[in-house]
Amino acid sequence: MKNLIPYFTLGYPDNTRLCRFLDIIPVEKINYIEFGFPSIDPRYDGPVIRKTHSVGNINFSGEVYSKYFDYFSRNHVKMYSLSYYSDIKDRFDEFIGYLQMNKFSGIIIPDLIIDYFNDSRKVIEKLNDMGFEYIPFFSPATPDSIIKSIASITNSWIYYGLQPSTGIEIPYELDYTTERINTLLPGREITYGFGIKTDDDIKNLMKNGGSGVAIGTYLVKMIDAGDEKGFIDYIEKMRGVLDE
Amino acid sequence: MITAINRDIMPENWYNVVPDLPEPLAPPRDSKQDVSSINLLNKILPREVLKQEFTFRRYEKIPDEVMEQYEQIGRPTPLIRAKNLEKYLDYHGKIFYKYEGATATGSHKINTAIPQAYYAMKEGVKGVTTETGAGQWGSATALAASLYGLPAQIFMVRISFEQKPLRKTVMNLYNGNVVASPSTLTEYGRKMLKEHPDTPGTLGIGISEAVEYALDHDYRYMVASVMNVALTHQSVIGQETKKQLELIGEHADVLIGCVGGGSNFGGFTFPFIPDGDETEIIATTADEVPKFSKGDYKYDLVDSAGVLPQMRMYSLGADFVPPTIYAGGLRYHGASPSLSLLINKGRIKSDEVTESQVKEALRIFANTQGIIAAPESGHAIATAINYVKAHKNENKTIVVNVSGHGMLDLSIFGEKK
Repeated sequence: MKNLIPYFTLGYPDNTRLCRFLDIIPVEKINYIEFGFPSIDPRYDGPVIRKTHSVGNINFSGEVYSKYFDYFSRNHVKMYSLSYYSDIKDRFDEFIGYLQMNKFSGIIIPDLIIDYFNDSRKVIEKLNDMGFEYIPFFSPATPDSIIKSIASITNSWIYYGLQPSTGIEIPYELDYTTERINTLLPGREITYGFGIKTDDDIKNLMKNGGSGVAIGTYLVKMIDAGDEKGFIDYIEKMRGVLDE
Repeated sequence: MITAINRDIMPENWYNVVPDLPEPLAPPRDSKQDVSSINLLNKILPREVLKQEFTFRRYEKIPDEVMEQYEQIGRPTPLIRAKNLEKYLDYHGKIFYKYEGATATGSHKINTAIPQAYYAMKEGVKGVTTETGAGQWGSATALAASLYGLPAQIFMVRISFEQKPLRKTVMNLYNGNVVASPSTLTEYGRKMLKEHPDTPGTLGIGISEAVEYALDHDYRYMVASVMNVALTHQSVIGQETKKQLELIGEHADVLIGCVGGGSNFGGFTFPFIPDGDETEIIATTADEVPKFSKGDYKYDLVDSAGVLPQMRMYSLGADFVPPTIYAGGLRYHGASPSLSLLINKGRIKSDEVTESQVKEALRIFANTQGIIAAPESGHAIATAINYVKAHKNENKTIVVNVSGHGMLDLSIFGEKK
């Protein structure tokens, strides 16, 4: 099954409204889910996701979501945390312990190899030792040698951001982009994110060997509008596109 | 058709250093909380230029139409062994200089102005706009726009506008419309004039005005430097240099260039980066604008108004108003992110030279080689002379990029800065 990964920033727009969406997710249609732990400085996100972090910081309460973490885990939906290293570096062990306790499978750290490159190998090896997946986050700006070296010390799927930040639409060459990452990491599971919204986007990525897609910014407007039906329809439609 | 001899030297592709950097290049950041200045680039830059700004392609094919124009404006430029300078310095190694002053507009700037204007024309935009410091970029933009039948609105830093009236004449001859920046043509310019009526202007202010003008008039902004796409286009300099050295059986031990935003420097040196660490690379700046030694490596504004995304670079701060120095092209507060990263990692060294060192270097170069180099290029020559003096017995092959001529900057020899 191709990966369909909905993204939610915890605490946005508030705990009650977000929980309504978590309640209705058709778990049989998704295999992974990504939770953004609100960041003080979500520097590599676009304005829409930045806003969710800023609101999430005010509202987030771990207790509210523990039953959802348990629910997704029991339904075999693998959970991944999106966390900035700048937020967790001073309480890293404690935070990873919290995620493991709540049955998360791994973590995506968008700023690790950009802002903390010298620490990155040590952090990844530590996660490996803890039996916790580190999901390499690459973008078009990641040099070839770094893609290869970071991928070589991990076994998980790869998160490839197609745009400089979330929700951005800069023109890019899809065929060349996918060919490059497939050539650098043959056989590796590549899930694409950033700026993906239409079924055509997804079809083209899958046609070029993609293993899945992560969708965040596009879901925010449904959450903002409380459009629960639209959300379910969208997830089901995207599942269909991925299964084609 | 490109002549066969030139075809041998001119590269068919531009080279993009991003895939070969030792660490990931930090992405641009939005300058404001609730809007995306990155997305706004879709309205500011020609689509193809924007795509190339964010591409990770190591090589980008140079369109045939651009190749034709490159030849028309004087590419390939000569690589000349500076034997007279070697003799003057009693140096037993070799000194070569790549002379970008041999282009039609007298500097390297035309190398990226042509493709940017070409893509703008292909996309059917109404016109192009940009800022200029010393006037070299403005001249290149005006000519490139004229070649493709586009109007060009140029915002020239006020101090240069006043000090270099001939540059304005050149831009006008190329059909460019030039105003002193800050100007009354934009809201930002009017605001600056009201708050700082005596400001000499800065490149940051000029960029802000040009970007605002592009947004308001459905023009496209021409990127002079700093952004990666400009460095990629400028890679014709370094690729030609490599080929020319190869043809005469030489190898560069040391590469030296001057840095304003980093475009001539990056274009000259980056094609050598994939070859390993064997070649020593030195970036020279003015000691009045000590961005690499006293600037911080941080995210900072590219333009004063904060319309463009922030970039991680060495910067003296976007509000830094440099002295009204003799080398207007080096007054910029920051430097290209890819160059900044390579300096931060120690792959590229930096140097600063004083005005007196530069003037002396320009005099020596004029007297030995006959070339009156641009004041900006004089920084690279000064560093090269200092290097030779410090490494007299090493007999290295030094290659200097002389990014432009200084025939319109002669006033610097008659007055103090």
